[in-house]
Amino acid sequence: MAYDAQAVRRLVVRGKQWDKVFVIAGLLCLMVGVLTLALLLAGLIHDGAGRLNWEFFSNFPSRRAERAGILSAMVGSSLTMLVTALAAIPLGIAAGVYLEEYARRNWVTEIIEINVTNLAGVPSIVYGLLALSLFVYGMGFGQSILSAGLTLALLILPVIIVSTREAIRAIPGTIREGAYALGSTRWQTVRDHVVPYSTGGILTGVIIGLARAIGETAPIITIGALTFIAFLPPAPLGGEFPFISFEWLRSPFTVMPIQMFNWLSRPQAAFQENAAAAGVVLVVMTLLMNAAAIWLRARYRKRIKW
Amino acid sequence: MTLGKDDIGHHISQQYNQELENLRSHVLHMGGVVERQIADAITALEDGDTQLAASVVGGDLQVNALELNLDEECSRILARRQPAAGDLRLIFAVIKTVTDLERIGDQAERVARTVLELANVEPGRSRPTMRHMGDLARRLLNKALDAFARMDVAAALEVEREDLAVDKEYEAILRQLMTYMMEDPRTITWALNLIWAARALERIGDHSKNIAEYLIYLVQGKDVRHVSIEERERQVQGDMSGQAPTA
Amino acid sequence: MDISAGVIAAQTANAGMPPLKAQASELEFFYGDVQALKRVSMPVAANRVTALIGPSGCGKSTFLRCFNRMHDLYDGSRYSGQIVFQPDGIDILDRSVDPIEVRMRIGMVFQKPNPFPKSIFENVAYGLRVRGERSRRVMAEKVEMALRDASLWDEVSDRLDDMAFNLSGGQQQRLCIARALATEPELMLFDEPTSALDPIATANIEELIHRLKDKVTILIVTHNMQQAARVSDYTAFMYLGELVEFGDTNLIFTNPKSKRTEDYITGRYG
Repeated sequence: MAYDAQAVRRLVVRGKQWDKVFVIAGLLCLMVGVLTLALLLAGLIHDGAGRLNWEFFSNFPSRRAERAGILSAMVGSSLTMLVTALAAIPLGIAAGVYLEEYARRNWVTEIIEINVTNLAGVPSIVYGLLALSLFVYGMGFGQSILSAGLTLALLILPVIIVSTREAIRAIPGTIREGAYALGSTRWQTVRDHVVPYSTGGILTGVIIGLARAIGETAPIITIGALTFIAFLPPAPLGGEFPFISFEWLRSPFTVMPIQMFNWLSRPQAAFQENAAAAGVVLVVMTLLMNAAAIWLRARYRKRIKW
Repeated sequence: MTLGKDDIGHHISQQYNQELENLRSHVLHMGGVVERQIADAITALEDGDTQLAASVVGGDLQVNALELNLDEECSRILARRQPAAGDLRLIFAVIKTVTDLERIGDQAERVARTVLELANVEPGRSRPTMRHMGDLARRLLNKALDAFARMDVAAALEVEREDLAVDKEYEAILRQLMTYMMEDPRTITWALNLIWAARALERIGDHSKNIAEYLIYLVQGKDVRHVSIEERERQVQGDMSGQAPTA
Repeated sequence: MDISAGVIAAQTANAGMPPLKAQASELEFFYGDVQALKRVSMPVAANRVTALIGPSGCGKSTFLRCFNRMHDLYDGSRYSGQIVFQPDGIDILDRSVDPIEVRMRIGMVFQKPNPFPKSIFENVAYGLRVRGERSRRVMAEKVEMALRDASLWDEVSDRLDDMAFNLSGGQQQRLCIARALATEPELMLFDEPTSALDPIATANIEELIHRLKDKVTILIVTHNMQQAARVSDYTAFMYLGELVEFGDTNLIFTNPKSKRTEDYITGRYG
């Protein structure tokens, strides 16, 4: 059969036209999302930029809008994040490692696996209810940073477990076999190979989890974070013996989203500006954390090429 | 294990099968050419036919050309196919057989040259006939080639035995001619030439025996060169009867 | 064959064999319900190279991995029969024998080079760390010796802290060999070590295997028959989980006893 150049060319041209159609359609969809986000951010910055000065960051909230600041909210958010990280990271990594490396493949592990993934989708306010009965009243931690931190830790635990497992699964079986063939025990293989090589993926999951937690409002409200805190929790390091105190764990507190919510509910326009400014700070913090996650992932990917 | 007639082919590569088949048929073709050379040389000797003798001498060129072609064919197969086991033994046997066939061709040519020499010499006496010995030698080669074609170890063993007959005939002719030479020195030139012709025929028998030995090596993987006939037969027979089914 | 050809072959071969490092007897192996090895009996000569050849799925890699109990890492595997390790005469397949102890005495090199994502030094030293070696000096000595034995020292001595991934495929495989050698194993298992490498890297590794014979016993699985012919002293042909024939490599490749072996070696297989 002779080669029909014309027919082939017509086919190719038509295919390329469809290519163009889809490129344009995809671009449009992308633009919708990106532009909306950009507009939101632009609106926030427009409304709140005027408020972003040093006093905003160093003042406590006040009935006078011009003098209100987010100091207590930021400190509260940071301390809560600290507790969340300290609780969630070891628990999540250990759980992920156990499920991937040690657990036997039977129906019990299947059920656990399914439920861990489901937990990620549970509404955050349900975590708040759980926290209320378990941490605040059941264990007597009260309405404190400790309760909030632990609640958020529970919230992001599934995320960390899943990303740990994914990172571990990415390790080729031949690396594991190589380690075992040298006579290492399972613990040595986990400690020297599995965990170090999956650090990149795990860190990414942790940062994404924390970035989500920093913006969670519902569970914190449920366990009773106050909205007008004009003081800071007691400092952890003091001048007299014993130099470290844990009092700050039990102190009343507030976090950024709640502070925003509080200002939003005030009628004065000045408070709306404050809310917008706080929103900008929150968004920037979230973006920074996500950027850190991306950078870390890229860095680890360069070192470890499967 | 023992190689059978049908074991040469059946490779996954059809081309390889074809190459080996071609190799075998080329060897047998060369064997046929050489056989005819022997037959013509003997006829020329008996009949004093110098024309036939000259054509035998010229025909040796073809034999040499066939040797070159076959060697090249084997070399190609070795380089490209890296034959192992039975295939390797086949190439080995073919290379060796070709060498012996070429030598046989040379011996036939020598007989023919003798005819040309003798044309200028007075016979002096009636010449002892070498037709019988010649036929024996030719039949020996024929049998060896036939054994090769049929991969028949039993026939190959017979060749080894029958070579003894050729040797005996040679000794008889030798004695006879030596007697002539001693009786009448004028016959020496003539007798010597005849001795050389007889020797050539005896050598043809030896080369045919070699070919049979290569065949035994090919089929059974046993190298039976330089081993006495009885020992050889015992080895071969023992191998064939004691063979458990290996498929 | 109805009677285990392996047993007969092993016994006849044993008559003229040098001292053994190991002997497999009536070894059977099951993945769940599937029987992958059927009554395999084979000697492994000390300080010699033994090659396992056969078509895909014949069980040669499965057999190899029995020697260092790699199958224990996966659920559903079951052994029966013995592999007796000399000179102490213990059966390494016995349930009471800890697989980790077995792996301490045996090294393995895999088909695709699998260096750890660590530095060259750390790769080779890992086996030593697992054995509790702490002295930096001792590790450095042993790493150098292993890299020399693996013909890699000259190429990497000035960049031991470089990532192993930066080496070429052939160098990575030699690194893996050095890694296994560093712990001075008694038996080295090679599972198709050159099938992912180019001809020159392959030739280098074959040369290396030849030189290693003096130090260590070698068992190599290869699907490249010419490699088995070049490199090994003894060859075993396996088919569908059985050992069909075992013998001196010279004999196997010039005059094998079994028609199945002959067919496989000459390319009539199938």
